[in-house]
Amino acid sequence: MKVAVCVKQAVDETELKVGPSGTPLIAGAATKVSTFDKNAVEEALRLKAAAGGEVVIFTVGPADARKAMKEALAMGADRGVHVVADTERFDPMLVAQLLAKAIQKSGPYDVVLCSEGSSDTYSGQVPPMLAECLSHPYAGYARKIELAGAASKVERALEDKVEVVECPLPFVASVVSEINEPRYPTLIQIMQASKKPVEELSPQALGVLTEKTLVRVESMSAQAMNRKRVLIEGTPEEGASKLIEALAKEGVIPG
Amino acid sequence: MSQEVWAFSESDSVANETLTAAEEIANAISGTAVALLLQADDPGRASGGKRLVIKTSGPAPDSPELAAEAISRAARQGNPSVILVGGTKNGREVGARLSAKLTRGCLSDVAKLTSDGKTLVGERGEYAGKVQTKVAADFPCIATVRVGSYPPASGKEGETSEMQVGEVQAKAKTLSVNKKPAATVDLKAAKIIVSAGRGVKKKEDLAIIESLARALGGTLGCSRPLSSDLGWLPEDYHIGLTGLNVKPDLYLAVGISGQLQHVAGIKDSKVVAAINIDKEAPIFQAADYGIVGDLYQVVPALEKALASRHR
Repeated sequence: MKVAVCVKQAVDETELKVGPSGTPLIAGAATKVSTFDKNAVEEALRLKAAAGGEVVIFTVGPADARKAMKEALAMGADRGVHVVADTERFDPMLVAQLLAKAIQKSGPYDVVLCSEGSSDTYSGQVPPMLAECLSHPYAGYARKIELAGAASKVERALEDKVEVVECPLPFVASVVSEINEPRYPTLIQIMQASKKPVEELSPQALGVLTEKTLVRVESMSAQAMNRKRVLIEGTPEEGASKLIEALAKEGVIPG
Repeated sequence: MSQEVWAFSESDSVANETLTAAEEIANAISGTAVALLLQADDPGRASGGKRLVIKTSGPAPDSPELAAEAISRAARQGNPSVILVGGTKNGREVGARLSAKLTRGCLSDVAKLTSDGKTLVGERGEYAGKVQTKVAADFPCIATVRVGSYPPASGKEGETSEMQVGEVQAKAKTLSVNKKPAATVDLKAAKIIVSAGRGVKKKEDLAIIESLARALGGTLGCSRPLSSDLGWLPEDYHIGLTGLNVKPDLYLAVGISGQLQHVAGIKDSKVVAAINIDKEAPIFQAADYGIVGDLYQVVPALEKALASRHR
């Protein structure tokens, strides 16, 4: 069982600062492996534990994206493939093409896992685009994966329903965070992660032109959070009656 | 010939919102809004003056995979300037697949769409709601429209045309569809939401939060750990980036620290109040009113204070 997992080095949204003109300072912001990608890595490790095989991490990003790769390797993946491309923000279709070519080059893989969306821009487009590029069956928003060759099943968590789809191998799936609880790597695993093999590929070597993008960013502005931020003091009883009074004044609770 | 703006959603209610967005764009570019229907869809849906029924042979195009294949074939024939897809989970898959199939840019999960007749611009919340980003794609292009960002279309009568696109086949087969139990909550429509977080020590203690919700005539919700990690409440109680976006009159966060992912789901609330034992909890930055205190004391006190008002 060979499982490919796609991870993204994302801007750490909790650390994102705003510049004097109200522009978020994306360039140079702290980064981390995208939160939900850990669920995809965890699921791959579980599939490997059940069926044996190999878990390979794929990422597209600047040289610095090695950090996200290392975090995923520390969780227990075997090796990595890093498509080194130096762009601040990627076009989803471009990322999907680069991932698809890299996966085809190092494959074949039985399962390709992604998360439902990245914790920074959360556009969720790469997984279905990747399935299109690879011409694989696809199951988005997976909350359970049962491997059984051509009769493999995926449970999809949608807004108001749960759908079970039959996805013959090889397939692509995006997972939701409820699928599992990602493990924390041990100190030894973190140290060993640096020694795991990571193959570096260039977009040129994969035959993908990085200049051709379909979607562009026009502007970014920090969202103003206009809340009153009134802290109510006193004993629980005093606090409670003051809050009820304030809410009644706002007209948001029945008078 | 005037430029066409197509609107599609697999969901009846979202289809009508998506059509409103299409009508606005069509007005801005002096084009025509066209409501798309796949053969199995409800013909009772609103129409933007024009309606196009895409007919396929083979299995009914009721999955995002088949819908995207059918719509992409129709788009190659009809060449619309813009295809709008309602931004449900399945809709976002349809949009991304169309983008790949047609090599057209897709703006994902956007609101406030505008156009000058050559380019489509939309706004989306990013970085857990910290940033509002304007994204653009040149015509012809695609966008998935954020659910709830447009009112439903009024439902004008219009001419209906048909297009046959041939046989579509699926690589993944839907085996079963289970509606989530309808008896649970409708947080999207709730006027008052009382939401519980990690500050609640055990599952049984949710009873006191639920009791306060009831006293306020509100609905219980929760942050991600309670539904996804602890499993104390079903997923449809989960408010936040990967759960529900809610817009009640009052959102009362109880024992919720206020991680960005959670705050992203409550931004549109009219008034936010919070109870947390930690004075430094980020939820107080995202709240209109805050009480620093032990929820196990404050919640019963709130219920008491409410009861004495009504006496």
